[in-house]
Amino acid sequence: MTQPAPTMELVQDPEDRDTYYMNMGPQHPSTHGVLRLRLHLDGERILDVDPVIGYGHRAHEKMAENRDYLQFLPNTSRIDYLSGMIYNLGYCQAIEKAMQIEVPERAEYIRIICGEMNRISSHLLWFGTYLLDLGGITAFLYAFDDREKILDILDSVTGSRLTYNYGRFGGVSMDVDDTFLRSVADFSEYFRKRIEEYHKLVTHNVIFRHRTRGVGVMGADLALDYAVTGPCLRAAGIASDVRKDEPYGIYDRFDFDVVTAEGGDCFARHMVRMGEMEQSLGIIEQAVRDIPEGPVLAPKVPKRIRPPEGEHYFAVEAARGHFGMYIRSDGTDVPVRQKLRTPSFVHVSTMPAVLPGTMLADTVAILGSIDIVIPEIDR
Amino acid sequence: MDTFRQTLIGAWSLLVGMKITLSHVLRGPVTSQYPLERIEMTQAYRNVIRLIEIEEIGSHDCIDCQACVRVCPSDCIKVEGERPEGMRKRRATLFEVEFALCSECGLCLDVCPTDTLGYSREYDQAGYKRDDFLYDLLDEWRDMEEDVREKLVAEEAVKAAAKKAAAAKAAAKKAAEAASAAEGEEGKAEEG
Amino acid sequence: MTGLFQLFPNPWIGLAAATGAVMGFITVNALFLIWLERKVSARMQRRYGPTEVGPFGLLQTLADMLKLIGKELITPDHVHRPLYLIAPVLVFAPLLALLSLVPINEGWVFHDFDIALVLLLAFSGLNVIGIFAAGWGSNNKYALLGAVRAVAQNISYEIPLLLAVIPIVLMTRSLSLHEIASAQSYPFILVQPLAFIIYFISATAETNRAPFDIPEAESELIAGFHTEYSGMRFGAFFLAEFTNMVIVCAVATILFLGGWKGPLLPGWLWFFLKVYGLILVMMVFRWTFPRLRFDQLMTFAWAILVPLALVNLLLTIVVLKL
Repeated sequence: MTQPAPTMELVQDPEDRDTYYMNMGPQHPSTHGVLRLRLHLDGERILDVDPVIGYGHRAHEKMAENRDYLQFLPNTSRIDYLSGMIYNLGYCQAIEKAMQIEVPERAEYIRIICGEMNRISSHLLWFGTYLLDLGGITAFLYAFDDREKILDILDSVTGSRLTYNYGRFGGVSMDVDDTFLRSVADFSEYFRKRIEEYHKLVTHNVIFRHRTRGVGVMGADLALDYAVTGPCLRAAGIASDVRKDEPYGIYDRFDFDVVTAEGGDCFARHMVRMGEMEQSLGIIEQAVRDIPEGPVLAPKVPKRIRPPEGEHYFAVEAARGHFGMYIRSDGTDVPVRQKLRTPSFVHVSTMPAVLPGTMLADTVAILGSIDIVIPEIDR
Repeated sequence: MDTFRQTLIGAWSLLVGMKITLSHVLRGPVTSQYPLERIEMTQAYRNVIRLIEIEEIGSHDCIDCQACVRVCPSDCIKVEGERPEGMRKRRATLFEVEFALCSECGLCLDVCPTDTLGYSREYDQAGYKRDDFLYDLLDEWRDMEEDVREKLVAEEAVKAAAKKAAAAKAAAKKAAEAASAAEGEEGKAEEG
Repeated sequence: MTGLFQLFPNPWIGLAAATGAVMGFITVNALFLIWLERKVSARMQRRYGPTEVGPFGLLQTLADMLKLIGKELITPDHVHRPLYLIAPVLVFAPLLALLSLVPINEGWVFHDFDIALVLLLAFSGLNVIGIFAAGWGSNNKYALLGAVRAVAQNISYEIPLLLAVIPIVLMTRSLSLHEIASAQSYPFILVQPLAFIIYFISATAETNRAPFDIPEAESELIAGFHTEYSGMRFGAFFLAEFTNMVIVCAVATILFLGGWKGPLLPGWLWFFLKVYGLILVMMVFRWTFPRLRFDQLMTFAWAILVPLALVNLLLTIVVLKL
């Protein structure tokens, strides 16, 4: 049985002289964005934590109510800019499911390749910044060097490095050529060796192991209670992945494993993400091998996107977990309500259950390993 | 004994780590020395939009349909146009993009019916005031606008004349048929 | 007193000359070391490092130092003024005294104390007071945490440092740096490898360099004990750190690597090569390894280094007795 969440109010007790309050404010090198953590500390031990969010609120859901479905497309990349491609393509797939639009085969394969490349680049960034927080600054630059290669490849076809607006309703906006497929295959070969190097540099490193083993345990019960998804859930031992449970696109044609680990500590999350990068490489290689010729945009896409009246929900497996799009439509161009279920919002709410009892230095390690992206929390 | 073994394994992992970072010194830098060397952008690179030349016209082909204005999520395009005398299609007279608001989504390119919108290749724009980013897309096309209009009007006139001639020919043919039919009837009436 | 100091007729002129030489060395050393660190770390990270200012970016540090000097010395309102203002001086001053004790070549030393080693170890403990004054005087929770950690870390790692140095003293029966270096017909590292490793690790911890740089943990505590300092006061902490690095590596060279001894090249050149070689190793440490958590750091010092150093000491005693 998990503990109920502690009270969210941290009120300073004037009688208490042994403990103190500290603010890991919105401007902090390790909170991965503008997240504020109000900490109640006893020496180095954390007694209580209260995360304060909202510093990055950009009103995406409100913007959705004032724009039609096509105009909202650029916004989707910016909700979680690190998995921008996955969110972008996921939104397209949501509308396609609601409007019953058929996507050509080639476009589906291209979507898989670009989505998985995006997943690898997001995990690489997580890897780099995690080590930056822990103090091993060089690995950060190695990860970013590899990420540059991915970004250059995606740049050559979409024209953009971070906020791709690549998907369109009915397919993708631009076709890929053989140079792209060849560079993807070359990258995949190169990156497999790099993952080996990262394991030698980081995973086997005794200091890294001491910092991450047994730290920030998020057990299976806690994870299920809080609706944690993605690598954090899989690190607790539960094999749950949207690509396997509710396959979308053509993911059911690909052969890949759902990487899990035991323990739910930071080290387990690290191993799950490294394993996921390898699985993504496998998916990419299969897609490059099997991609057919054909058009990349469905021939008959309606000029006005008017999903049928009612509620529509669609979920994708983003780099951080289960990303869900809920659209309530009344048959017009503009949605009545669009709700984005982002994984980081849930993960940051587990902080008051996971952090108490750890040390201050561990806060940084745990925050980094849960891999939150603040814009996704505040939308 | 186990602690001893763990310590040795740990120390070995540290040495392996150092070997990896030192080996990177031999691999050489991967950074590019911007601004001393220019970086080439890819073919698909997205930046501020520009009007592209359409071959048959010899200039841009913006017909002031307002499709890009309507689709832009950031409301950053402003287009105005007029219909010159003797032309069936409109021509744009004002095409401004407030690039400070643009999110480079590319939706305007998708909806343009004449495919006259494309991307420019600049990438290191910088300015001191917001107005530095108010791009006038017709700037490069203004000099030849008069000639282009003349040419288009002439083409239209030729087309109109050809159409008229064809219509006249068809009318004459019809009249000839009607006349011959009438003559045939008259002949019949005379005989009868 | 023996040493170069004798050459000066008036002790005050000698003092001024010594101070001038030491300050000059500190400045040039800092200029060079900061450039070296930036270049080494850049090459390990596959980028260039400073290239614009001066050939190979050598004058970059000078430009940065000029910039730091030109900055406004902001003293926040809420600080404890005496402590806040004296802290950079306290961190920096002991090192000035120590540099005059280090022999660079046969007979090239300002003061040839017979107990130079004890003096060195004693003074290097003084910089803890400066760090703590900085952290406490800043009236800032982050700085205080950094200072507290720094004090505990420095005090803990002095024990293995001392225990690693004692075997050398037993072997040469002298505490004078000059004599210890002269007595090495073969570098002592060959007979005391464990002591060298323990000394080097403790020295890295003493100078607050990674992987022991928790006091100034950049990603956790923003800047640790020197969060509230700006301008040249911050520069003073930096200078102190780099000078401390040189001092501990110089002591390591003298105790374990044979000081100025070596074929072909002049003695002082060998000395500097060895010292900067050790500093290079320290730099590679910094840029490769993540940081240890604070309690793990203390465990490492007390539960691993101290027992190992004691074992080494016992072995040395046994061997020497035979």
